[in-house]
Amino acid sequence: MGSFGLILGLLLMWAIGVAFVVALPRRTPLLSTAGGLAWTVGSGAFAGAFLATIWMRALSLAGVSFGIAAIFVPLLLLGAALAWLGFRREFPDLRGALRDAANIVRGQHLQGMARVLWLALLAWLVLRFALLFAEVAWKPLYPWDSWTQWGTKARVWYELGRLVPFEAADAWLASNGTSYFDAAPHYPGTVPLLQVLASVALGRWDDALMNIPFWMLAVALSCAVYGALRAMDFGPSGALVGAWLVASLPLANVHVALAGYADLPLAAFFTIAVFAGLRWLDHHETGDAVLALLLLAACPLIKVPGRVWLLTLVPALLVAFFPRHGRKLVAAGFAVALFALLVLARTNPVILNYRLHLEFAPEWGALADSYFLLGNWHLLWYGAIAAAVFGWRQLMSPRLAPFTMVIAAGGVFLFVVFAFTNARAWVADQTTVNRATLHLAPLVTVWMLAVFRAWVQDCRALETEEHQPLAVRAA
Amino acid sequence: MSAPDGGSVASGPLATPSIARPLVLLAAALAVAATVYLAFAVPASWFPGATAKTWGARDLSLVRGTGAIVNNELVLTGVDNNGQALIALSSDLPARDYAAIAWDVRDVPATTDVRLVWRSDYAPQKVISVPVSIESEQLLPVIVVEDPGWLGRVNGLALLIRGPLSQPIRIRGVTAKPMGAVETLSDRIREWWSFERWTGTSINSVTGGADVQDLPLPLLLAVAIAATALLVWALARWRRLPRRSTLAWTIAVVFAASWGLLDARWLWNLARQTQVTAAQYAGKDWREKHRAADDGGLFAFIEQVRATLPAAPVRVFVVSDAHYFRGRAAFHLYPHNVFFESSRNVMPPPANLRAGDWLLVYQRRGVQFDPSANRLRWDNMTPISAQLKLTGPGAALFQIQ
Repeated sequence: MGSFGLILGLLLMWAIGVAFVVALPRRTPLLSTAGGLAWTVGSGAFAGAFLATIWMRALSLAGVSFGIAAIFVPLLLLGAALAWLGFRREFPDLRGALRDAANIVRGQHLQGMARVLWLALLAWLVLRFALLFAEVAWKPLYPWDSWTQWGTKARVWYELGRLVPFEAADAWLASNGTSYFDAAPHYPGTVPLLQVLASVALGRWDDALMNIPFWMLAVALSCAVYGALRAMDFGPSGALVGAWLVASLPLANVHVALAGYADLPLAAFFTIAVFAGLRWLDHHETGDAVLALLLLAACPLIKVPGRVWLLTLVPALLVAFFPRHGRKLVAAGFAVALFALLVLARTNPVILNYRLHLEFAPEWGALADSYFLLGNWHLLWYGAIAAAVFGWRQLMSPRLAPFTMVIAAGGVFLFVVFAFTNARAWVADQTTVNRATLHLAPLVTVWMLAVFRAWVQDCRALETEEHQPLAVRAA
Repeated sequence: MSAPDGGSVASGPLATPSIARPLVLLAAALAVAATVYLAFAVPASWFPGATAKTWGARDLSLVRGTGAIVNNELVLTGVDNNGQALIALSSDLPARDYAAIAWDVRDVPATTDVRLVWRSDYAPQKVISVPVSIESEQLLPVIVVEDPGWLGRVNGLALLIRGPLSQPIRIRGVTAKPMGAVETLSDRIREWWSFERWTGTSINSVTGGADVQDLPLPLLLAVAIAATALLVWALARWRRLPRRSTLAWTIAVVFAASWGLLDARWLWNLARQTQVTAAQYAGKDWREKHRAADDGGLFAFIEQVRATLPAAPVRVFVVSDAHYFRGRAAFHLYPHNVFFESSRNVMPPPANLRAGDWLLVYQRRGVQFDPSANRLRWDNMTPISAQLKLTGPGAALFQIQ
């Protein structure tokens, strides 16, 4: 099949995801909403990628070898069925959505310098993704874990044409060759399965080209962020700036260029899942809830900490579902968490390989280096703190409160891990601290913009009120 | 897709839609912030008459210790019997014109005791030394202008390193710096735009330029943004403008511009890296890429191993002194059923080896093979039966009998 097959296979996977998103039940056509096309295309890539890996797991369970026919033909049929279901509803709006998208891409909604800036920003994004594509396509697996614990599984599963178990050393030694071993045999298989899928589409093993799905998901993340921001009532320019901010996070770029780790896929799936959840809270469309659940289900199957990231959504759900008592519940939850930390001072349990022990000794210096001085995040953490300070009155507004809760719970999770556990060593040596932060960073970027925008709107309202004649105000 | 767009982060036009004014203010704030920095960073004259003097590795003499010039670097591999290495050069520096001495030295463990040594014509019999700080395995510049011994004409400079050395230290040269304002700013700009190529740690952290930076660019920009915001707030209050909208617009513009500046630096670095990647890998197929990679020698040997092993997957134990080679060799061997210790350099217990298993030894000391008896042993244990199937440089493949 070669490179053409690879591109075709990945586009097919993407298209199936788009068809899935379109087919989800909703009252209002998705393509008639602001940014609906970008959201559909962006989130569709994630749905398609995860559905494809589920299908590959099913094939393996059924004893069917991985191959073009086994993987792609049924997915093609599924995609066609989903498209038929969804496009009946969406078709009337498709032409308008495509026309609007073309006009927006050309910057026809802007004039003069604003249009120049718009086109420059688009060119900037294109240049970035072109460079990242070159890196992914040329460079064989490079970073450490990619060839000790992720690519290992991809190679074995691709060459054998099925999933075979990876087990710990003792079990492997006793298995007499029926299981395999690598540096992290218990790690989940979604990312290696995506690499297998790319290899099957390519028709051969190539540990550079098999990582094209990482690049594809990064592009899709930018599309989805644009669509999500449009759904939050950002204009096209604000949404494009948001997509650019997310796409330009240096550590996220590194995880595309040096593909092979599961951190960026986890970050992207979690981000899109939260956006889908927020859309559901805003518009109560069943399809958004289904999409959120699907992508959240993917998180623990991408990386073990995905389980904990699911838990960080609990405060947001409490605030969203119980507007009157939610805040009290969350406050109580945090109090319980504090109590639990105190209990941990007397015990020494191990959870997810992290030894939990209340020994408050955060590496403040190394943490400050990571977030504020080194080049990992540009100005993200300065901006996030400033947004929280300026927009503190809006943080818990009905529309922002669930989003704020996700960020707060995620921040608390990262802080507890790095301040109270043996993971603090990974802050000091600048290893896992940034990769763990990457899981939350795209959401923090968008949250920063949302809070800032809420503050701007509040400022405008105040100034409008201040400048109105007294009589008008009295009336 | 019909929502209005005012060309801003918000959904409608803000009160002060001028981009130029915030950018001018940001530039002014940057200039002020840089000036404040220089006030602290420049140790002597802001505009000195002297220019920097640099000596390369070939100008240096290795007085004590062992080492050699490799690729224009003096690679220091050992210390003398007293546990010291001394690298010296003859100089002729008017002390008052030079405020700092910067040694370009890499791979210095943080615990190493390093001192800058000099003598001058002011007190020819007196040798003066000061400690040199280490950060990110590099030596930081030493500000000598405030040292009471930095007088007269400095006619001898040296670097004293007290061992033992856990790894070779690479010495590229030394520069005597006047440390004026222009030079200091140039140094900072050079640090920001220094090429940061992919390394084993890139997946964990991005430095954002040189490994060691005296003034990280994100910090400078953050300070400038804050100063701009304060300035705008004060101006709006003074001129009775709508304060909040003006402030919001200014923050949005200067934040985006600053982010853009950082991103331009990052994208430029990425473009340079892509050139390096292209030179190494572009136009090559999968195997050629691996032969061109850092572990090309290992890959070439593993290709021979794969040709020797049966086509169907077999159990292969991989051992090496370096965990990098253990992991890489294993990766290249899949889908054979490979076992390797990712973090410990240990041999497999003989009880775990079965007849028909394979053992790949790659640059691992302590493994002995007796070809006359086909006996393999390690760690003083009882020898086991094995056949030697393949040898390579520092490597061998055995099949357990």
